[in-house]
Amino acid sequence: MSNAIKVASRNLDFFYGDFKALENISIDFERNRVTALIGPSGCGKSTYIRCINRMNDLIPGTRVAGELTLDGQDIYAPGLDVVSLRRRIGMVFQKPNPFPKTIFENVAYGLRVNGVRDKAFLENRVEESLKGAALWDEVKDRMHTSAMGLSGGQQQRLCIARALAIEPEVLLMDEPASALDPIATQKIEDLIHELKQNFTIIIVTHSMQQAARVSDRTAFFYMGKLIEVDSTKTMFTNPANKQTEDYITGRFG
Amino acid sequence: MEQRAHFSKKLEDLKVKVLRMAALSETAVHKAIKAFLENDADLAEEVIVGDSLINQMEDDLDNFSLELLALDQPMAVDLRTIIGGQRVTVNLERLGDEAVNLAHRALFLSTRPPLPHNPRMESLAATARTMLSNAFKAYVDEDVSLATQVCRMDDKADDLNIAILRQFVADMVSESRIVERGVHAIIAARHLERIADLATNVAESVVFIVEGTSMKHNCKE
Repeated sequence: MSNAIKVASRNLDFFYGDFKALENISIDFERNRVTALIGPSGCGKSTYIRCINRMNDLIPGTRVAGELTLDGQDIYAPGLDVVSLRRRIGMVFQKPNPFPKTIFENVAYGLRVNGVRDKAFLENRVEESLKGAALWDEVKDRMHTSAMGLSGGQQQRLCIARALAIEPEVLLMDEPASALDPIATQKIEDLIHELKQNFTIIIVTHSMQQAARVSDRTAFFYMGKLIEVDSTKTMFTNPANKQTEDYITGRFG
Repeated sequence: MEQRAHFSKKLEDLKVKVLRMAALSETAVHKAIKAFLENDADLAEEVIVGDSLINQMEDDLDNFSLELLALDQPMAVDLRTIIGGQRVTVNLERLGDEAVNLAHRALFLSTRPPLPHNPRMESLAATARTMLSNAFKAYVDEDVSLATQVCRMDDKADDLNIAILRQFVADMVSESRIVERGVHAIIAARHLERIADLATNVAESVVFIVEGTSMKHNCKE
């Protein structure tokens, strides 16, 4: 069942007030696969991934219609515990956003919030998470210094470690490398290849080359609609849709 | 609005370079065929000397394509245009080589008495020329239908080549003095048949560029 559907949406609409930002989005995300969402600014790709962990709930006047499921369960079911949902669906943002705390506390934060007090358990999980985020070797000797002293690339991997610490099943990444230099970007991309063994990853990126390098499947969004989704190889060598081809060859956008 | 205008211009330049090389290769093939059919040694010499320019253009196109791939990281139809263009280029260079091979046969045969007339040889030469001309037209116009026709003509060239071989073998059995010339003529027919094959390869690249599909080895379906 390694390729079973982890996240799925059916006829999903999303509104900011009266404005329909997403229209009729139907797409499946397979377990242990990386799916890249591409499209010009304002096409709805970030809005879409924020529907998946209900981050958009925090914006007043927004509304969702249609179906969005995690392991077949309705993400928008009445009474669903959103905190527990977000524990299962971690998120990494465009700009690294470490807390002004130590490296250790940054990674331990989610566990502490969830009531974990066992010191040995915390230490073990923090180490595993930092290893998972390919940061451990660089920070193991300064775990109790401020995270703000790390480089941008290290801070972003710290944020990934922080997301991993609570053992999510899905990892949403919203342009995780757009603020990073090429070396740090490469580390994040290598990490994505490693992480997909254990997680389902959905990444929003403006870099076509990055989508091509890291993802198994690519979805092209345009003006709030899903235009085409296919294997990344097909999308970048022979997309079926003319709009997709025009976008990825730089003819518009 | 068209983005990446600079890159689009470079893709156009690529196509123009391929077409210039195609014109040279096609001329070389035409001259070699004429030299062979009309025993024209001077024309054959011209083909042999002219091949270095075709080789030089291949090097130039290789470098240009490599630069486009490395610096512009093309996708989709742009990527196929460059990869397909490289495939065409490789075949153009081989067409130049086949023209030279044919010219060498023409040179040899021009020093000997003429062989018995074999209309199939003219027919094979005409088939190869038509296939080549249509393959280049398909490349210019991105015409998949014409490219497919070229591929389907390849069987005719193969059949003519076999018929020519049989005819010369029969002639050589009955007349041993023509054996040396007959062998050269059989080899020449083989070069003509190879020209038809290379035209087919160009046509297959056109289908790849336009549709992203491969019809290598299966265009008869």
